[in-house]
Amino acid sequence: MTETAFKHMRDLPSTHLLGTGTPACAGCGGLQAIHQIYDVLGKNTVFVNAAGCMTLLSVYPFTPFRGSWLYTAMASAPAGAQGIRDALDILIEQKRIDKNEDLQVVVLTGDGSAYGMGLSATSSAMERKLDFIYLCYDNEGYGNTGQQYSDATPHAAKTSTSTGPGGYPGFKKDLFSIWAAHKPAYVATVIGAESLDLARKIQKARDIEGPCMIISLSPCPTGWDFDPSLTAKVGKLAVRTGIWPLKEYENGNITHTRKPAKRLPVEAYLNLQGRFKHLFEPKRDEKMLADIQTQVDAYWAKVAS
Amino acid sequence: MYRIRFHGRGGQGMKTASRLLGAAFFLEGFAVQDAPRYGAERRGAPIFAYVRAGKSPIFERGIILHPDLVIVADDSLVPVPAAGVMAGLTDRTVLLISTTETADEWRRRLHIHSAILTLPAPREVEDRLELRYVGAECAGAAACLTGHISKKKLERAILGELEGKPQKIIHRNIEMASEGYDRMADHKGLVQEGTLPSAKAYTPPAWIEMPFEAARISSPTIHAGLTSIKVRTGLWRTMRPVIDHRHCRKCWWVCSSSCPDGAISVNEEGAPGIDYDHCKGCLTCVSVCPSHAIKAIPEHQAAAAEEES
Ligand SMILES: Cc1ncc(C[n+]2csc(CCOP(=O)(O)OP(=O)(O)O)c2C)c(N)n1
Ligand code: SF4
Ligand SMILES: [Mg+2]
Repeated sequence: MTETAFKHMRDLPSTHLLGTGTPACAGCGGLQAIHQIYDVLGKNTVFVNAAGCMTLLSVYPFTPFRGSWLYTAMASAPAGAQGIRDALDILIEQKRIDKNEDLQVVVLTGDGSAYGMGLSATSSAMERKLDFIYLCYDNEGYGNTGQQYSDATPHAAKTSTSTGPGGYPGFKKDLFSIWAAHKPAYVATVIGAESLDLARKIQKARDIEGPCMIISLSPCPTGWDFDPSLTAKVGKLAVRTGIWPLKEYENGNITHTRKPAKRLPVEAYLNLQGRFKHLFEPKRDEKMLADIQTQVDAYWAKVAS
Repeated sequence: MYRIRFHGRGGQGMKTASRLLGAAFFLEGFAVQDAPRYGAERRGAPIFAYVRAGKSPIFERGIILHPDLVIVADDSLVPVPAAGVMAGLTDRTVLLISTTETADEWRRRLHIHSAILTLPAPREVEDRLELRYVGAECAGAAACLTGHISKKKLERAILGELEGKPQKIIHRNIEMASEGYDRMADHKGLVQEGTLPSAKAYTPPAWIEMPFEAARISSPTIHAGLTSIKVRTGLWRTMRPVIDHRHCRKCWWVCSSSCPDGAISVNEEGAPGIDYDHCKGCLTCVSVCPSHAIKAIPEHQAAAAEEES
């Protein structure tokens, strides 16, 4: 394993590969992570993008990428990645392109694809040990179509299809564990607000062969209803409250890369977001707040033991 | 048939405004089309919405090229070419602007013969995106200007369209729509219906015959990277982050990494700089800067100051 090139914040890239002028919302936490990730992966990267907000990045004739990009249906980005990987391997084998022209194949999808529609194709790609990176920017809903709930929506959040008094009745699916159960080469959670942790993990994913699976929690001012200036704050609080554990899976082991010494109460995170407003107004929903806190506490109790 | 075009920024309720007006027309017995233009409906981005209303079925489709009424909810969009506020205006088009300026001032600036009316925009509000009900006010004003919509039907339209929203929000919308309506009382019925399109009068556009090209050339493939920088997303901005370099401690990795759009670059001395052609004004940098060296100022003030210097 190569040592990390990112010891300090000042080791982070100071020039950016991703072009400006994209149609992503002001303050998009998904784009915040993607532009950092692209800097670490480098320009020899090809993105395979399932339908979602980020497909708007490349709308003819505009693209923020320096290289190729492929658009796929929501359920089939990993299949698209397989095709590109195979094509590159054949081209190299036949000496039609040089080895140093090889590209890193990166699947880029939202949570709607990753947690739901695309899970089957992803499962088989891991099973085939496809050499690729899967990057899921998780904005906890179908953002591009108006934030309907997805399998990644957290309990109690209001979405455009969870408008009842209690918000979304389901629970966020544990995709990290589902992915890790396939024993791929690498699985990690990241967030744009923790740039150093993110850069280290993406460097690993870049250098490890085989399926490298990344989930980036992506604060979404539009879908979560908070002021766009708070993207980084919401992201940091997701980590400090313990709601979004930063961790990685490698060689059968799970390591938490950030263990908040003193976790902040979950409401510090929840009450910044309009989608949880009903837990605080017109009356505090003590039971629901306690339930959410209990779940987070239970998770960390297991980590400690 | 009436052809009405709304201009505003994402977040100012233009889509809702068009729906409120459309629903009110419908309740008054009109055939109606109302639709926002699908595209970058992002907060701060220029938004277009269209309403057509007529007494007979509407066969016209698509964007409105020659409007009878143009409504501008944010006057900072008027000089922005990409916002297309002035597109297709004729002498009989009525232009209604929510603004801190007077109608005379706009007549002077724009050199047009169209009737110009104004709705007063509050001066004390720094960030125009905070004006969440300006759309309802515009819809109310438009309803009055057509002369066909009663206040009662307007209110019913709002209740219908906003059903399920919190009472407070519905109430604010009704209040603001009613205010817009009353402000136009002296001009009731000023907007005149445009003529129906006739097949005879139709002139085909000046077609350019394109030769049939091989797929390699004619298929919509982008052959160059980074073309997105041609898109000036700086136009979305209503508040501008400004770095005070005296207080900046050159910890550029904080703001430059955090900027979702990668619009903060670092020069050789390690000082960060903001690309205003593309900064969307989310102000993430303002909130993350540890030395509070980045301040937010209203874009219209910043632009005015730039013009002076
Ligand atoms: C099979 C299929 N169903 C529905 C759609 C419509 N659609 C386009 S984007 C999108 C939302 C995707 O959600 P997610 O993957 O979470 O990405 P986000 O929009 O949040 O970025 C949907 C439902 C589609 N493109 N394909
Ligand atoms: S809806 Fe959310 S995830 Fe999608 S572009 Fe906007 S901020 Fe980003
Ligand atoms: Mg999503």
